[in-house]
Amino acid sequence: MTEDAAFHEDFTVNGGDFQHAGEASCEVKTLLKELGLDAQVVRRAAIVCYEAEMNVIMYAWEGRLGLSVTPRLIRIVVEDKGPGIKDIKKAMTEGYSTATPEMRELGFGAGMGLSNIKKNTDTFRITSTVGRGTKLEMTIRTSGRRS
Amino acid sequence: MKHAEPHPLHINPKKCVGCVHCLAPCPTKAIRVKNGKAYIISELCIDCGECIRFCPQDAIESHTTSFSDLNAFKYKVAIPATVLYGQFDNATLPSEILFALRRVGFDSVYELSTICELNTAAIETFLNNHPKPRPYIASTCPVVVRLIQRRFPTLCDLLVPFEPPREIAAKILRANLPRILKVAPTDIGIIHITPCAAKMVSINFPVSMEKSYLDGAISIQDIYRPIINALQQSKDDAIMCHLFPETIISGIGLGTALSGGEIKGLKQHRTVAVSGIQDTIRVLNQVELGLLKDVDLLECLVCPDGCVGGPLAVENRFLAKSRILRLASQLGDRSVVDRADISQLYKKDFLSFSHPVKPIRATPLDPNPVRAIQKAKKRSSLVKRLPGKDCGACGAPDCRTLADDIIRGLAILGDCPFMEKEKK
Repeated sequence: MTEDAAFHEDFTVNGGDFQHAGEASCEVKTLLKELGLDAQVVRRAAIVCYEAEMNVIMYAWEGRLGLSVTPRLIRIVVEDKGPGIKDIKKAMTEGYSTATPEMRELGFGAGMGLSNIKKNTDTFRITSTVGRGTKLEMTIRTSGRRS
Repeated sequence: MKHAEPHPLHINPKKCVGCVHCLAPCPTKAIRVKNGKAYIISELCIDCGECIRFCPQDAIESHTTSFSDLNAFKYKVAIPATVLYGQFDNATLPSEILFALRRVGFDSVYELSTICELNTAAIETFLNNHPKPRPYIASTCPVVVRLIQRRFPTLCDLLVPFEPPREIAAKILRANLPRILKVAPTDIGIIHITPCAAKMVSINFPVSMEKSYLDGAISIQDIYRPIINALQQSKDDAIMCHLFPETIISGIGLGTALSGGEIKGLKQHRTVAVSGIQDTIRVLNQVELGLLKDVDLLECLVCPDGCVGGPLAVENRFLAKSRILRLASQLGDRSVVDRADISQLYKKDFLSFSHPVKPIRATPLDPNPVRAIQKAKKRSSLVKRLPGKDCGACGAPDCRTLADDIIRGLAILGDCPFMEKEKK
């Protein structure tokens, strides 16, 4: 698929901006629906965006969520400037979280974020440099069939 | 029925001055102004009636059953929404209001609060029998059901699959009145009295059954004056009602008129009540993200504060709410419905939807995915060109919607007055 055939949209996500949490994922949902994609595929993409968005809001300073869509594939890249993740394997474990008590009080930080992303995507790649930031690259097939 | 689904909401072109007050409040962006008049895009409208609240010209009308329509029936039955009890001064008892309705021309009047209590009790049993999925969403508000079908299609399965109290009441009456009254079933007209703009569409085009058990809905606004007149003429009725209170009213069921009323009786479950269209959309978005899984029942009512805030009510919702709360506290939490009746109806599936609520797919930008993506790209670049003032002068609620309309061939860039300027 050439780059030209893809639809792109970028969203800015600010660290600590709980007030606008979920807005990017909401817009992504609207967009994907308008492209005529299957409701369950759209829902998975929205959940993935939301979890990634929340990670930036909770832990990073600032980030960017990039969405690109081709007729076959939804690609979501979330890149942040932030503290990074020391032990990715541990961070991927269900229930593991470094959320502060304040965040947990708000109902966040159950440690399900990354595993939830993995569950809802067809491919998921995470790279992180401690002290610099984290990059998540995810794809979801529009046909709805999971790998 | 598929094509041109009629809606009860209509814009009276004689009254509409083409101002843009109704555009932005519409939650589905279903209104446009063209040639100086507003019009509703039928396929997008969910009948919430928000536009009625914002129109300064009173140009948006909700078509409900008129009194003359009642003449079609030999035997007229009224089922008023419990909101009606909050519309008159504090001294007016529910039984007087029910009496007044008979004077207005109904042969019998049936009280809905007991059925509301039954509904909550049945939901409790349902939640106990269905530990998963979560959260279930109450299906009482017809606009919530329509909103979910269109905007949150993946949530259709979470709707509590019970018909609302008004339909259950009518179903019971329809099954029994012909026998009791010895009247032909077709001669009986069962009419709901309502503050809601969407009841007409839920009666004419029900989503979870073939045919509604109700024959129509009269708005509280239309019946208010006749009731006031009847109340004034019938001081003797009042004495009768005070001394011989024949109607049993449920304090538990009465609260259904208010946000939180339906879940009030659910002591064993974790519940959340939301009211207002924008907040309902916000919370349903969260449900779609899987965020409310620790909640058993979510009650959403799209009118502010619940049905008391309905666009076709007369009394301001704060006073109405205060009166209903007072009545409910006088009546107390004592249950008036027999548990055995509830479990019998529950087991017979008497309360259940006849068929599930099905999602309704929105029209994509293009049926062809490649072209849809091209159109989305074009729209993004259009959005960037437009001023982003969301002024409504083009006739669309905001710049993004104008861009969308242009892509769909419903508008042109020149509709934007700022773009016009740029060209010159």
